[in-house]
Amino acid sequence: MDGEPRTDANDVGTEPAPMPLQGKPNPRHAAIRSALEQRRGHDAGTSAIAEAAMALSREVTDRLTPMIGSRGVDAIISRSLQLTTPAFPWLGLAGEHLDGVGSLASFKARLEARDPMAATEASVALLVAFTDMLVTMIGASLTDRLLDPIWAPPAPASAKENAS
Amino acid sequence: MSQNVSISLLATGVPGLDAILGGGLPEFSFNLIAGQPGSGKTTLAHQLMFALATRERRALFFTVLGEPPLKMLRYQQQFSFFDPGRINDTIRFVNLADAVTSGRLDEVLARILKEVEAFAPGLVFVDSFRSLLLEASPHAKGGITPQQFLQRLGIQLSSWQATTFLIAEEPAAGDSQAIFTVADGLLSLNQSVYRNSMVRKIQVLKLRGQATSPGIHTFRITGSGIEVFPSAIVPGDTEAGPATATAPRRDGRLAMGIPGLDAMLGGGLPSGYSLLVAGPSGSGKTILATAFLAEGVRLGEPGVIVAFEQTPSQSWTRTIDDLVRSGKIGLINTRLLDLSIDEIVQRLVDLIHRMKATRVVIDSLSGFELAVAPTFREDFRESLFRMVSVLSGLGVTVLMTSELEDRYTDLRFSPNGSAFLTDAIIVQRYVELGSRLNRVLAVVKVRGSDHSNEIRQYEITREGIVIGAPLSEYAGLLGGKPTLAAPLESGRRR
Repeated sequence: MDGEPRTDANDVGTEPAPMPLQGKPNPRHAAIRSALEQRRGHDAGTSAIAEAAMALSREVTDRLTPMIGSRGVDAIISRSLQLTTPAFPWLGLAGEHLDGVGSLASFKARLEARDPMAATEASVALLVAFTDMLVTMIGASLTDRLLDPIWAPPAPASAKENAS
Repeated sequence: MSQNVSISLLATGVPGLDAILGGGLPEFSFNLIAGQPGSGKTTLAHQLMFALATRERRALFFTVLGEPPLKMLRYQQQFSFFDPGRINDTIRFVNLADAVTSGRLDEVLARILKEVEAFAPGLVFVDSFRSLLLEASPHAKGGITPQQFLQRLGIQLSSWQATTFLIAEEPAAGDSQAIFTVADGLLSLNQSVYRNSMVRKIQVLKLRGQATSPGIHTFRITGSGIEVFPSAIVPGDTEAGPATATAPRRDGRLAMGIPGLDAMLGGGLPSGYSLLVAGPSGSGKTILATAFLAEGVRLGEPGVIVAFEQTPSQSWTRTIDDLVRSGKIGLINTRLLDLSIDEIVQRLVDLIHRMKATRVVIDSLSGFELAVAPTFREDFRESLFRMVSVLSGLGVTVLMTSELEDRYTDLRFSPNGSAFLTDAIIVQRYVELGSRLNRVLAVVKVRGSDHSNEIRQYEITREGIVIGAPLSEYAGLLGGKPTLAAPLESGRRR
């Protein structure tokens, strides 16, 4: 599944969050947005968006925790929230010092109080900040290796994981 | 027919390591990689893992406290062997921090075994093992002791047919015994800093069932990972069987490429000999060595030069450069100051094999001694002996130059007493004749061969060394103050 070219990167430049989404269209960012929309399904409500964002976050956490430990994941989540907050001040998470799970619960509660558009952008910005930080730390190849299965659409060919 | 078990050896993929392990790493062995922080333990473990892991023999790498896994992954990716495409396929990383902080080694063991059961690896790594013990031991009540943990881990992983590596900082006195007892293999890494150089060393302290290479070997960490330079082994006696890599010594003599010098040597330099060219600065040692290599090229005998101290602007370098560019000779040109002789020998032997070289020049021993890390200088003479023996075992003919301070009160051929190691010696000196500084040379020895005992004047011209007539009308040349003497009978002994 890694190495498959992504073609759905056209809408990245329109995103409002300035920090992680500036510059050239980034296929990984587009894949994250696409995955969020896919998880949300046909329900365009804020609640569905918040649930989809949490589901993706949990998958990311589940994939990374065995490898880098829960504290390692918590640290990246906290830093990602901190990086996301300036573009979305209504998140109001700057002063909070929670663990990863607590931070994400607060994040979800804040999302649910906003309109769907804002909730979507903030969710994408958080996941993008998280993956960008991981790329900075361990490189794009390994990041994609670890997280691509989450963003990839659940097509039959790419859904099969390690069979043994 | 023997029913004894045969242990298959895994090729580690770490250059030089299999040689010191006695051929490779025994499959299903339980090994400890120990060393100080920064000594290269984790790098060695990763390099082994990426080399050994296959679809049939997958690897499980447990990280414990100590180096954060993210950082480990970040830094290990700088090595070319790290292939992210294999993560979660043939290689899986598992962080044990959460299990370890519970404080119970039995729970840690259970977690390890659960992961092993799920992934069915053929290779298991635990990094770092000492962190695990340090964190867990204060909470061991009701659990198991570190010794029990080790023994159970060893038993369980062996029965899972996994080759296991525990990575540990230098074992402390308390837990070393348990580790030493359980481990089948024990690799110790260290880095020693002496004056302004740092040298990495590796030692196989134990490897059950294997004839390992004793002693301390050096290694270097580059972008490709670890490369071990096995301590050069002097070819053994006949009881030990034929020495490895020993080429049959060719008969015949090699032309030196300097008119008149072959005759002085008794017909050229005997093939397979080592020749020391000793002389003061500017006496033309390097020019002589270059002529030796160039003549070899002309005769279809490839050569290799190890150069330590020349600058690229010199004419000889241009000659060498041309020969290197045309692929006719191989060059090892290093200005590193932290070399081990074994590293040079390893590179040299590789190059000799690659070039199919029969002529080798080391220019110069003095530069070599400077380039060697200070910690090895005390053993320089012994190491030279090993090097000359190894080269001799390969059947190549070696020319070494040695910077020699002109002393007119004694006659010596090398500053480190290494002249006895060589089969032949040519000495060059300055003498004052007619208020001019003149160069003279003489063949001091050619083992087992007649040779000239004349002291011959020579000049260095654009074409190279031009040997002149013997200075037979002078006496006291070596004392630096020659005087005219009555003509002697011919100086040739042949």
